[in-house]
Amino acid sequence: MNGFIFDLKRFSVHDGDGIRTTVFFKGCPLACVWCHNPEGIPYTATDAFYQHKCIGCGECLRADFAPGNCLGGARIRYGEHISSIELLKILLEDKDFYDTTGGGVTLSGGECLMQADFCREILKLLKDNGISTAVDTSGLVSRKEFEKVIPYTDIFLYDIKAYDEDVHIRCTGASNKIIIENLRYLDEIGKKTEIRIPYVPGLNDGQIPKIAHLIKGLSCIVRVRVLPYHNYAESKYEALGLKSTLPKKIPQKGDIQNAKKIIKSITGLDVI
Amino acid sequence: MILHFDKRKRSSYSAFEPTSALQGEIYSRDELGEEILKIEKYTPSRAIAKASSFALILEKGAIYINKSSIFQFKIIGEGLLGEQRLRWESEIKAKYLKVESESIRQAWSIFGAYDGMGDYGHTSPNTRLLLSEGFSGILTRVKKCALNSCGDNEKEDFYHSCEIVLEAIISAANRFADKIEPYNAENARALRQISSGAPTDIYEALQLLIFYFYIHEYIGGTRIRTLGRLDLLLQPFYENAIKSDAYTKKQIFNMLKFFLYTLWIMEVPYDIPFCLGGLTESGADATSEISYMIIEAYDSLNIHSPKIHIRTSDKTPRNFIKRVLRCIRKGNSSFVLFNDRIGIEALRRVGISEHDSIDYVPIGCYEPAVWGVEMGCTGNGGVNLAKAVELVLNNGCDQRIGRLVGVNTPAPQSFAEFVEAVKVQIRYMTKLATDYIVEIERHYKSINPDPLLSAQYENSVKAGVDVYDGGAKYNNSSLYFYSLASLVDSICAVKTLVFDKKLFTFSELCDILTLNWNGFERERLIALNLEEKYGNGNTTADALTAELSEFCATLINNMPNGRGGVFKAALFSINHFVHLGERTAATPDGRYDGEPLSKNLCATVGMDRCGVTALINSVTKIDFASFPTGSVLDIMLHPSAVSDREGLEAFQGVVMTYFKKGGFAMHANIFDLQTLRDAQLHPHRYKGLQVRVCGWNAYFVNLSRTEQECFIKQAEALL
Repeated sequence: MNGFIFDLKRFSVHDGDGIRTTVFFKGCPLACVWCHNPEGIPYTATDAFYQHKCIGCGECLRADFAPGNCLGGARIRYGEHISSIELLKILLEDKDFYDTTGGGVTLSGGECLMQADFCREILKLLKDNGISTAVDTSGLVSRKEFEKVIPYTDIFLYDIKAYDEDVHIRCTGASNKIIIENLRYLDEIGKKTEIRIPYVPGLNDGQIPKIAHLIKGLSCIVRVRVLPYHNYAESKYEALGLKSTLPKKIPQKGDIQNAKKIIKSITGLDVI
Repeated sequence: MILHFDKRKRSSYSAFEPTSALQGEIYSRDELGEEILKIEKYTPSRAIAKASSFALILEKGAIYINKSSIFQFKIIGEGLLGEQRLRWESEIKAKYLKVESESIRQAWSIFGAYDGMGDYGHTSPNTRLLLSEGFSGILTRVKKCALNSCGDNEKEDFYHSCEIVLEAIISAANRFADKIEPYNAENARALRQISSGAPTDIYEALQLLIFYFYIHEYIGGTRIRTLGRLDLLLQPFYENAIKSDAYTKKQIFNMLKFFLYTLWIMEVPYDIPFCLGGLTESGADATSEISYMIIEAYDSLNIHSPKIHIRTSDKTPRNFIKRVLRCIRKGNSSFVLFNDRIGIEALRRVGISEHDSIDYVPIGCYEPAVWGVEMGCTGNGGVNLAKAVELVLNNGCDQRIGRLVGVNTPAPQSFAEFVEAVKVQIRYMTKLATDYIVEIERHYKSINPDPLLSAQYENSVKAGVDVYDGGAKYNNSSLYFYSLASLVDSICAVKTLVFDKKLFTFSELCDILTLNWNGFERERLIALNLEEKYGNGNTTADALTAELSEFCATLINNMPNGRGGVFKAALFSINHFVHLGERTAATPDGRYDGEPLSKNLCATVGMDRCGVTALINSVTKIDFASFPTGSVLDIMLHPSAVSDREGLEAFQGVVMTYFKKGGFAMHANIFDLQTLRDAQLHPHRYKGLQVRVCGWNAYFVNLSRTEQECFIKQAEALL
């Protein structure tokens, strides 16, 4: 089977335990205004042009041009179909690093579970090769699709972006009903889960206590990670020819510490 | 009462004052120099002449002291014996090696192809013997063996020279004590003990190390390139001090700060290293409380020297490595981490016994040699591998100057022929470099006899032969191979562009490179963008890396040298990648004429595209146990990758995986692009920004523009 991916990050250290390789899948049911991987949203190949890298080589004017031929690395096509075996081969390259650090592979995106069948296949192959697996998901996926990957996933990195439905819709364009249901399901079956909360000032910062109450008492949760919003993706929007939706305001260090403190005091969980 | 180390008083620790003159003391360095010339003139034996010159300085040179520190003193006459060695070396060269010396000088300074030289500096003195027996104990050994030398003039001279230097240093310790007595009785007491016997406590042990190092390095004329395994040396003294309540831990910590700070303000060229951790002779782990304490003291000082070599094995506590990595992460990065498994195996492959090889110390930057047993001479020169490609492309000639430097190999008809031609050039340059080294080594005893060092080598004293004349148990030499990645990338480019894709012919490539890619920017970019690059997990490049590194190692290892030992290969480039790059024409990998070549085991500048894990996977295709003079991988990580607990674990994972996969030595810089760019623009704001250059650290703002750019390009790859 083929998967459709747009990036692969090796030596990834904050996407689960140890040293990992993270695979970014194309396509996402959400469109968060703060999204730092906008090239991952559409389920079609996306072309980008990074003007500052253009060296005027003229390759792109040739009839037989493909983005891979751009000599300055200015034109990039996001989106590559890759077979599970090919992908596995790449993921196995860093096995020694996973083994020394208790690391492994993380599937992310976009929303990787939009390609649940492929995910299931690659996750199974990874487990067969003794590699620990993590799935980084928005949780917005049907139960049927979700269940396909659960048996082969060691830990879910599970995003909670807002508690109030209207806030969630405003921030992401979708309701969080299914997301919350799926989280409760993970708890029901006792699947190891890390909760990830992006912290975006003026958008979801008011949701922190409510999210904390939501996850309080869920025994599947091993830790909570607060992800401070950053605006590094500005140039990517420009390169993709998209109008940036990125908020201007970046969180202060104190805000993040405060949010962590609140979550910790409400849930008693390990918050990083 | 031992003085307290006070950070605020730092500047006072480097101020020296003259002491009141006694009769016969000489304040003028020139005057001492003239006296030495007289000694040389009337002393036929070089060993005796050297010893007498040494003794003269220690006896007559005026003494300067620092009243604020617990260790500091200076004596007039620094460097005079180094000058003596240069005189003797020039004389020998003029007499026996005139043509060869000139040709090797040009090979290095004009063509940037290879170098070979006498190495009088990469030594690992037997500080263990020194601390257990003191100078007087060593003198007793010398005297005992000297009894058997009757009738052999050369041996008699050897023993006599050893006696002269040891007696001189013993009296000198007393003379220093006299001078320091009025200001610091504690210090004087320690020096008197050093004069009369072995050190009895940790303060005296540290004092002895400083005293000996200063005298040998600055007066003795031979570079000391490690103090040895410092934690093993100090541990018994430390335990005694605690057990007997002689000193508190706090006092010892204070002494260590003074000790490290003293080494730092000496401004030793390329810095002085010592070693911590690693396996002991009994197979146990050397790490102890004092190992941690030394690192703690270093970390508290924010200094970029001394160089701290960390030996590791399966038995090294993870917390110890973590402590070191925390220092590096913070920016106090004067560390190299070593893998005992490979270091020991590498030495065994060049005939060193298992028992001896376990007791290796890294000399200088990364070069393993048996502590106080082997004369490592680990800095004899090396070969610029990238130059071999230039020579193949130009009928054996340097492209710019047009002079024949290598072998005139015919234009290759196939890729295999091309690789073979490259090997011919490497073999040829290696031969010229080693031939020269062997020749000059035969004259070492007339250039740099070193009785102070020889007296510490058990084998040398027993045999009555100077360590520079083959007196040690192992008398080895070295040759480095520079710019491996540039070589591999260039060969890959020729394979892909000329022989596989046939974008241009071999002779067209020669023309393009002669034009320095001028008018062929598209071709250059294609070459630069090839997937076949060293250090990125590419199979073609990885296979070539393995093949060529093994080829180099086989050329050198176990080749007999000129002192009864063998050559040991090394795979690193120190900071020569800039010098050699300036003298290497445009290369097929897309590099312009004059640009820096690749450094150590790094990818070519800017070509580290797949990150640290891919780099390590590729680099470990090399059999590092085939490089017994060492090898090193420099890694650069972004601060965000190693921040917090998880980051530290990942950092440790990188080191451990490198070692598990057979790597030998590694050091690291933790930088982000923004900081480096900002430091380049506003150097005054970044005066303290340390960067690991090679085996030593420097301040980033003091590097040349070219070197700074190399680091910046490396940091760009992390984005």
